Amino acid sequence: MDSMYEGDTLIVDLDAGTTDQVSFDEVDEAGPGLAAGLALYEKYKDDDPLVFGSGLLTGTPVPGACLGFVLGKSPLTGEPAVAPLSLFAGAEMKLSGFSMVVVKGSSPKPVYLWLHDGVPDLEDASKLTGMDTWETTDAIRREMGESLIQVICAGPAAEAGSKLASISINYWGSGDTAALGAVMGEKKLKAVALRGLGMLDADEPEEFYAKAVELLAAASMDVGFAPVCSALGSPDLDAWLAPMKHRVRACFACPGACATFVKYNEDPAVMESSDIEEPGMLVASAAPALWLQHGGWEAEPACRAIEAMAREGIDLMRGARELSDKPLSDAGEIKSAVKVLEGTADAGWPEGAEISGGLFGPWVPPVASADAWLEANRVGYVLGICPTFLLISGMDTAGLFALCAPAAGLETGPDEIAGMFG
Amino acid sequence: MKGRTRRAAAHPAFERLKGDFLPDAPRVAIYCGDGASHSWIWFTDLLERLELFDVAFITHGDILARALDEFDILLVGGGDTYAMAGSLGREGARLIERFVTEGGLYHGSCAGAYLVLSGVDLEPFTPFSLVEGNMLNVMPDPPEPLCLAHKYLAPYGDEWVFHPVYGEVELVRGPAAEGFSAFGEAGALGAPLFGGPVLTIEDEQCILADYAGSTARAAFPWPREDADRLISGEQAVALRRLGDGTVLASGPHLEHPLFPRANELMAEAFAQHWAGRPRGTSQSRTQTPRTPAGSAPRGADGSLLEIKRQVSNARIVGFGLEKMPVTWQIGVKVWEPEKIRMFLDYTWDRLPYLDRAVGSGAPVPGGALEILAVGFSEVTGLAKTLKLKAESGQDSQAEALSLLTRLKELTASFLSLYFRLRLEERLGYDRPTLRD
Repeated sequence: MDSMYEGDTLIVDLDAGTTDQVSFDEVDEAGPGLAAGLALYEKYKDDDPLVFGSGLLTGTPVPGACLGFVLGKSPLTGEPAVAPLSLFAGAEMKLSGFSMVVVKGSSPKPVYLWLHDGVPDLEDASKLTGMDTWETTDAIRREMGESLIQVICAGPAAEAGSKLASISINYWGSGDTAALGAVMGEKKLKAVALRGLGMLDADEPEEFYAKAVELLAAASMDVGFAPVCSALGSPDLDAWLAPMKHRVRACFACPGACATFVKYNEDPAVMESSDIEEPGMLVASAAPALWLQHGGWEAEPACRAIEAMAREGIDLMRGARELSDKPLSDAGEIKSAVKVLEGTADAGWPEGAEISGGLFGPWVPPVASADAWLEANRVGYVLGICPTFLLISGMDTAGLFALCAPAAGLETGPDEIAGMFG
Repeated sequence: MKGRTRRAAAHPAFERLKGDFLPDAPRVAIYCGDGASHSWIWFTDLLERLELFDVAFITHGDILARALDEFDILLVGGGDTYAMAGSLGREGARLIERFVTEGGLYHGSCAGAYLVLSGVDLEPFTPFSLVEGNMLNVMPDPPEPLCLAHKYLAPYGDEWVFHPVYGEVELVRGPAAEGFSAFGEAGALGAPLFGGPVLTIEDEQCILADYAGSTARAAFPWPREDADRLISGEQAVALRRLGDGTVLASGPHLEHPLFPRANELMAEAFAQHWAGRPRGTSQSRTQTPRTPAGSAPRGADGSLLEIKRQVSNARIVGFGLEKMPVTWQIGVKVWEPEKIRMFLDYTWDRLPYLDRAVGSGAPVPGGALEILAVGFSEVTGLAKTLKLKAESGQDSQAEALSLLTRLKELTASFLSLYFRLRLEERLGYDRPTLRD
């Protein structure tokens, strides 16, 4: 299955400071995407691995094909857990030239991994130590000379060993609710930076493209944050953010564009570039906003709190839940409160907060039944399609499976995918 | 883009034309000296498609040092004609003319065509006169352009050379194309015109192709109908026998890798010249002793990885620069950031071959890979410095000149090594066949 992938599996040994490209039959046989990731996790589980990977269709024009993942043992549960690589990080993971990357061991000194066009470089990260996620992202992009580099990074929370530490995708936090950021901190792995200028091959390019376009035409998710809020049963959340809303932003290849950029350091009506370098924050996940709204926060301080947590590299969902019952309004107080978060709250959504989804994190009850939610995650993480998009758009999964053959000569379906997860 | 290039390379004419250069293949020099812009690298695609691997990259200095004695074909692409002519001088003009009259083939595209027109009678061009003809796209006071202002004009004495259309134009058969199949049944083919001359050729028997108008795949500094009126029926490509040799002067870039029919026209002209060359002038390398197979030089793998690392890094920075509204004027030529990646892509796309060749024990000259690795590392540094300057709004002209000059040199060095290994493989040193 050479198509849809670039390169072999990369093994990064942080103890030795080496990288090695290998090919494993058992990983190939396990299946694409997260199925391969789980096989690698199992193979290296004694080395406390973090597995970075992408799905079969990640980085293609298939609607919602933005998803990559980080897989590792959650310090919270001791069980394997995944964090989504959304926005452009999953696609760039695929284009970086490696289908899967296993980072094992821990480095004696801070490092970051620079994956570009199939070249793996372990770079000294001493000068990044102590930097927050925003500073880290800027520093790596400046050093490598390109603002489109995707930076999966850990913030000060990870360096301090906090179990609230979450990985961050560039500046914006992530859906990591398993404290995989803390694992990066333990490994002294400050960041994984990704960029590739290559292209993906399909076995049957014309057929693949035609079918992908058909799926796109049939995708029925409206643009913006509102459809997500409605699906969560919280339509007023969109209205709550509305006064600060500047624009919506899509993950790679997603027609939904549900991430919302809010401005609170500048008039959100200003559309042209201004001199204000940090006008606001991208609200890429509904959960933290929802917790703070439920706790009685005003929207602007809530967004400032989300920014402060993202900068620290703190799990936005658990952090917001812990903050939710003590609404603040002063920016300085918000920063201080974020710095002393203790991690007392579990991951979960305001509705059905105690229901865990195991490998995939907390289940979101209003969106779908438990079975549908689990299947969307399995399909999504194997094929590289955002599960939220799958559920909300109602995209035809049979159409998705039909893409696997022209993409990579792979015949698969719901039963095969269920089988990949035992 | 790469898919389109691959499809173009699969054009069936190349398979037929390869045979026209066997068993004795010509030795080809590509000019990459003063004034050459980036388009000389396009010649390498055509030569690969024709499996002409005996290729060298030469400068004005090499020509003045009589390097042309070693070659059968000289290819000169686009760029700054003033800089080319100025650096080659009268002696360079004399040596090129002697090269042709003694049996060589000169092909000039764009600047390489302006350079050899007899009607261009202005220093430093006066001594270069290989084709009896002139250019039409000159006037003292051209109208304001509708677009592409930065590419529209070049000074020419008291007048201006101007470019009314920029992109694909249609060419039709001229009298000198008798027996050529490139024009097909329709009698026409497309080729890109990027600032090349609209020719007036005195002897109609020397006309290989006329312009027939533009296509929709072009930009129009002039209104399209005015541009078409100016170029239609005028000459696009001249072919002249001079002494024992041949001169080709082409306004459009026939060598562009996305225009296989234009490539075919050029290759047919080469083949016709090669078939008609006086016996005894072939300087084929078929008698060259085979290079013994050996093991790759020590550290070759590490150097190759370093080349890959640095070319990747530099391409990424180059891509970053492409998002910035910045250009640089070097001589009379305007350079856009896209040109940085164009150079680097020619190395990047050929690295897998080099990797396999080294792995198969190809005879890589000692130190060649290390020198390239150091050079590309320097290029990455220069590209980053250039980007920082451009981002901060400072004048980055000097940095751009340093980077583009170094890139040109390194790309030529890399391609020299690449073609050398392809030639060695063709000549058959004792090791498994390489496939790319």
